[in-house]
Amino acid sequence: MKKTLQTIIHGPWAYWVGAIILGVLNILVLIVRRQPWGVTLNIENWTEWIGTNLGILNDRGFTFQGLMAASGTYLNLGLLLGAFWATLVASQVRFRPIRDKKFFFSALIGGLLMGYGARIAYGCNVGALLNGIASSSLTGWIFAVAVFLGAWLGSKLLLKYLI
Amino acid sequence: MENSAFRSQRKWNIGFILFLTLLLALLSQISIHLTLIMVLGISLGFVLQKSRFCLVSALRDPILVGMTQLTRAFLLLLGISILGFALVSWSAAQRNIPLSLNIFPFGVHTVVGGLLFGIGMVLAGGCSTGILIRIGEGFAMQLVAFFGLAVGSVLGERSVKKWSNAFGEWPGIFLPDILGWVPTLILEIIALSALWQWARWWQKKQLGE
Repeated sequence: MKKTLQTIIHGPWAYWVGAIILGVLNILVLIVRRQPWGVTLNIENWTEWIGTNLGILNDRGFTFQGLMAASGTYLNLGLLLGAFWATLVASQVRFRPIRDKKFFFSALIGGLLMGYGARIAYGCNVGALLNGIASSSLTGWIFAVAVFLGAWLGSKLLLKYLI
Repeated sequence: MENSAFRSQRKWNIGFILFLTLLLALLSQISIHLTLIMVLGISLGFVLQKSRFCLVSALRDPILVGMTQLTRAFLLLLGISILGFALVSWSAAQRNIPLSLNIFPFGVHTVVGGLLFGIGMVLAGGCSTGILIRIGEGFAMQLVAFFGLAVGSVLGERSVKKWSNAFGEWPGIFLPDILGWVPTLILEIIALSALWQWARWWQKKQLGE
């Protein structure tokens, strides 16, 4: 009993346990939101707003009030807070600096490619892959194959230049 | 040692729980709907961190190290979501409740976008969800990746029209419209089971367990 509690608090949970709970939560998001869970569109919208206020981007009509009323904002904020909390209950909170300069650049380039790729394909691993397939959309399966091939190419690059 | 480390952040944990409760209580005064959404978001973040669920590992590790446990767990997540989504959208249609699913148009940009996304997530050490989780865990590397993601997403959003104008775009295909609900679900579950079997075989072949 004590051991079970320790595992619940400290983790890690078995992958299949995670899969089942995430599946239920994913369905609950669809019920409450009347639209599947997604991540990148909201990040894009906030960046548009910041860019407009900095005078870098032309205005596409995103307002602070509008973004604060968007459900995507609370999903993303929740992800961040939930992950932090999960680390905190296990007393594992600490700052983890970048170990090597090359990881700074791989993170930056990787992030750029990912953001660009997600928005020309209308979604990321969650909105387009998981929930594209969950929505029984053919596009979801096409995107999944492309992401898998991309991950294969990325692994080759990783082995060649980073590790 | 483990126990003393556990005690060391206990006070912070209690403080953070109070902060979350207060935040949700405040939000509930504005909107119950958004409060529910935020509770779901926090739960997703919590479970993703605790189960080390990462779609990058699920898609990359079969290639990089030959491990497929997470790949198979992801297939399970897909299966649960497919059946759940079918049930929810069917019962919403029965009650005339508006509900939108992610049926997106596709074209060359779907494939190019997927390829770039796949390469990017491996280089960044997390997909967009994974990045948010790792920032919560305190990783500086994913904070940099987040900045890249934000800039890249704006560039992508503002150029998708060019892609669809140049190479064409076809309306999204909702499989049950063509095949009917039951054959679609059977086909999808068969496809996922086949992938599951393949993943198990692959790990045996690579690691010899």
